Formats: sequence, C-alpha cells, structure tokens
Amino acid sequence: MKHFKLDSILLPLAAILACGFLWYVIAGRSVTTTKKDDWGDTVKVTKRKGISADLPTPAETWKASKLYVTDPFAKRGELDQGILRFTWMSLVLVAQGYFIALVVGTPIGFFLGLSKKFTTAFDPIIQVLRPVSPLAWLPLGMILFSGVKIVNGDGRTTFGASDAAALFTIAICAMWPTVMNTAVGVRAVPQDYLNVAKVLKLSRSKTLWKVLVPATLPYMFTGFRLSLGIAWLVIVAVEMLTGRPGVGGFLWQQYNANSYAHIILCILTIGVVGYVLDRLMSVVECKFKTA
Amino acid sequence: MALIEIKQASKGFGTEGARTEVLKGINLFVQEGEFIVIIGYSGSGKTTLVNLISGLGRADSGDVLMDGRAITGPGPDRGLVFQNYSLLPWLNVTENIALAVDEVFPDWTKGQRAEHVAKYIAMVKLSPAAHKLPRELSGGMRQRVSVARALAMTPRVLLLDEPLSALDALTRATLQDEISDIWLKNKTTVIWVTNDPDEAILLADRVIPLLPTSPATLGEALTVDIERPRDRKAINHDPRFKKLRAQLINTLLDAKGKNKVKSSRKLVLPDILPEDLTKVNTLQFLNRRGPKRRNELKLEEVEVTA
Repeated sequence: MKHFKLDSILLPLAAILACGFLWYVIAGRSVTTTKKDDWGDTVKVTKRKGISADLPTPAETWKASKLYVTDPFAKRGELDQGILRFTWMSLVLVAQGYFIALVVGTPIGFFLGLSKKFTTAFDPIIQVLRPVSPLAWLPLGMILFSGVKIVNGDGRTTFGASDAAALFTIAICAMWPTVMNTAVGVRAVPQDYLNVAKVLKLSRSKTLWKVLVPATLPYMFTGFRLSLGIAWLVIVAVEMLTGRPGVGGFLWQQYNANSYAHIILCILTIGVVGYVLDRLMSVVECKFKTA
Repeated sequence: MALIEIKQASKGFGTEGARTEVLKGINLFVQEGEFIVIIGYSGSGKTTLVNLISGLGRADSGDVLMDGRAITGPGPDRGLVFQNYSLLPWLNVTENIALAVDEVFPDWTKGQRAEHVAKYIAMVKLSPAAHKLPRELSGGMRQRVSVARALAMTPRVLLLDEPLSALDALTRATLQDEISDIWLKNKTTVIWVTNDPDEAILLADRVIPLLPTSPATLGEALTVDIERPRDRKAINHDPRFKKLRAQLINTLLDAKGKNKVKSSRKLVLPDILPEDLTKVNTLQFLNRRGPKRRNELKLEEVEVTA
C-alpha cells in the first residue's frame, strides 16, 4: 500500500515536469546580439527565437507573475490587481449567475420530469438552445438588458447592461445540466415511493417535498456540479467580451498589452480554481447521496 | 354485508394488440375481522389483485366495493404493506411512520401523534431502533417498520402483498408469529398475499388459491378450522394441517398442469439449397449465380448406391 501512495504523488509530479519541459522546449527565448548599424555604431539587438518565439519560458512566466502571486490581494489600479483579487471578482459574478441558473433550472427540470406534455412541448426548444455558445448569448443579453441601469448616490453606474448580460449568459449556459439531470432524476424516482405517497394520500406539496425532492437530490447535485463547471467555463468568455475586471478580463487585457506571461498565469489560475470548485461540489454531492 | 366485495372483476394490461389479460371473473367477499390469505404462483396476478383493493389499480370491468361503495383510489382506510418495504430511505423509522400518521390524523396535537407513533413502534418491537435510517436496519426490521406504518393509520383492512417473501426462513417465521399475535389483539381485517402454503394455513381463517390459468381466477376457498393461537411446532403434526396443506398444494399443482398450453404451429423451413463451395475459391466465382431454391430446380439428380 505504501508503494501505491508514493506512486500517486510521484507519477503526477513526473507528468507535470514532463509538460513543463515540453513547454520549455517550444518556448522562445530572448537572444541579444551586438552588431554595427549603418552608421558604424554598435547596437544591441534583442530578438526572440525558438519554436514558438513569443511564448515565454517557465522562468520568464514566473518572473513576470511573481508580483501577482506573492501579493495576491494587492490593488494597484483598476486593471492591475493581485491574481486572487481578480479571481474573487470572477467568483462573485459566477456565484450570482450560478444562483440564477439553479433557481430557474431546477423547477424547469421538475416540470420536465413530471409532465410528459411539458416535455413534448419544450424539449425541442431546450435541445436547440442547449448547444449555443456563451459567445453567442452575450450580445443577445446586451440587447435584452440594454435599458438596465442602476445608479448609486455618486452618479456611478453600479449595475449596467453589461452586468445584466453577463449574469444572463452565465445563467443560461450553466442552467442545462441542472435542467436535464433534475428531469432524469424525477423520472427515475422509484414507483414504490410514489405508491407510498398515493396510499398515504399525501397532498401534492407534501409529495413534492417529502418524496420527490429527497429522491431526486442525488441527481440534482450531479447537475449542480456540472452546472458550476460550465458557469466557471463561461466566465472567461463573458469577461473578455464585456471588459469587466476579473481573471478572464485580466487575461484578455494582458494579451492586448503583449504581456504573454500573464496569460499563462491566468490559465493556470482558472484551471486550479475550477478544479477546487469541482472537488468542493463533489464533497457536497456525496453528503446528499441518500438512497 | 361483507366489508370488501369483488364481483366479476377483470383486469389486463397493454393496449389493443399487445394485451394480456391478468385477472378474470374474480369474486371475493371479505367479512369484517377476517384473516384472508390469497395464495398463488409468482407472476400469476397476486399484486394486481391487491392493487385493485388498495386502489392503486382500477378494474377493467366488474365491481370492487368497500362497505358497498366503489373503490376509486387509494386511501388510509386500507393500509398497504409492500413486498419491498418501500420505506423512504431519507427518513428514519419514526419519521417514516409519522409521515403516515400526520396525514391520517391532522387534527391531533403533536404530542398525541408522537405518542401514537411510539405506540406502534413498540408494537413491532423496534423502540430501540426508532431513530435509525432504513439502511441501518435488517430486512426483517424494515418489514416491521412497514407493518407498523400500515397499522398506525388504523386502517379497516390491512393489505399485505407478499410481506415476508424477501426474508430468510427464520426471520419469516418470527414475523409470522408476531404479526399473527398483533392481529389476535386488534382483529383488523387482513388480506395477506403469499406464495407459501405453510404460511397461508398457519395464518389464515380462509385460504383462497389464485389459480394460474391465463387469465387467473380465484379457486375454491379453504376454511382453516384450527383454533388460535396456533403453535408453529405443534401444528406440523396436526392431521387437519396436513390435510389442508395437501389439498391446497394439489389444487395449485392441478391448475398449473391443466394450464400447460400445447402449441401447434406449422414451421416453414427455408426453401434454399446450399451453394457449391468449390467454386467460391476459384476464378469461377464470376459465374456464380447465388444460392438456388428448391422450387427452381427442374431436375434433381440423386445418386443412389445400390
């Protein structure tokens, strides 16, 4: 068993090192040469060479990112903040959009699971809307909520059309796994439980809360977990398009600023945060595995 | 008047074309306070029959009456004990029973209801496990909870659909004795469905076989005139028990034997002749014309060695 445990640390580590090495090999590096220009002065010329000349090496990435990682909550300016501060902003937005997705998606899932007619009526619409990319939803959200504007005391807009569109996009993209899984869960409720409800003559609301919801919970939480993954996936696209500060916005802005090392920092951050969220949700999911 | 009357009821499943008739011409009269056991092979429609009485299913034709009124749906006056317990796994023993009690006695105070629940948990000897979840209980204990849940609704009829068939023989014996004791105390009308002849005779006032004809019908009822309480050990040597048992098993076996369907169907064999495979692996395959049919042959040569 000891051997096995060591493996589970060593093997991933080896894989990470291998990927790092691959990255190092294809990354470009700065080469400085001195040469005489047309006037005979010696000038230093710095050029980047390599398989992918503009890709920074791991060392360069770390050097450029150090400030953001070691001081993760710093605020040096609206668009120059510590990486975790950006992450936090993104997480807040994701949480809001995700909440809307669950509140809207779960009842839709229940209707789909309970009523055959509802399913027949709405299934085509759902199947068509489900694969639409967040990049496509966002402009529609901008149009839909173009009139939204909440102004605070100082006359600054605290919640504008782009915020509403961002929430709309996250919610509508993240909603589908919850909808589908809830529907499947409701259909999978054993007939025995429903018979119990019938024999006891439970009222509709009691059947829902005492029988259907608890029996569906495991499925619902699987949906919730997948939804959270998608919500986090969508955030980058949303922040890029709306220019909101956040980890995705930072990524896009640093790309435009030719600061490529920060892109890699952002990607790694997004990946790690996504992984942590998924783990957290699966812990919650396990708690609700009742049946 | 009988408490439950079933007159010429029939029930089938499926739509036109793919329809199977399960029950036909069912007549059953159950008096108040009677212990009826319906016995039959598995798959012969016992659960369908119970569902007609519980109201989970409706008869296609005929009448199913309780107190002279047609049964249109399930209700708390008919307590149902399911074969697979059907306890809600997210509620503990007390909550499972309370769910039923709260529904049936909404005007009682909380204290009254809690007391009522505790009384029935004690009746099935589960007080120490009152706060356990179903998954922490053994099969026998789960079925006791299910019985307690049905009894706690103080139903006029207790319907038990193969309540003990998922249990091992020893647990089954214990539970038979316990349920029969409980019945002796409060004399609720019981309709018990089983596939075990010993169980049937041990428990019943009347045993009614469900004959595995297709569709199934009820056979002649056997009255069990052995006095209660019946002792499991002594009854094995009772000549009346032996006679009833033999009678019951004969009825069921005879019905099964008569029911064997002889099928006579003309099978049409394929009218095709094997291909000459020696041609397949040579260039002659270009001249192949596929398999021949016997009716295409004008002349068939048969070599006969004399």
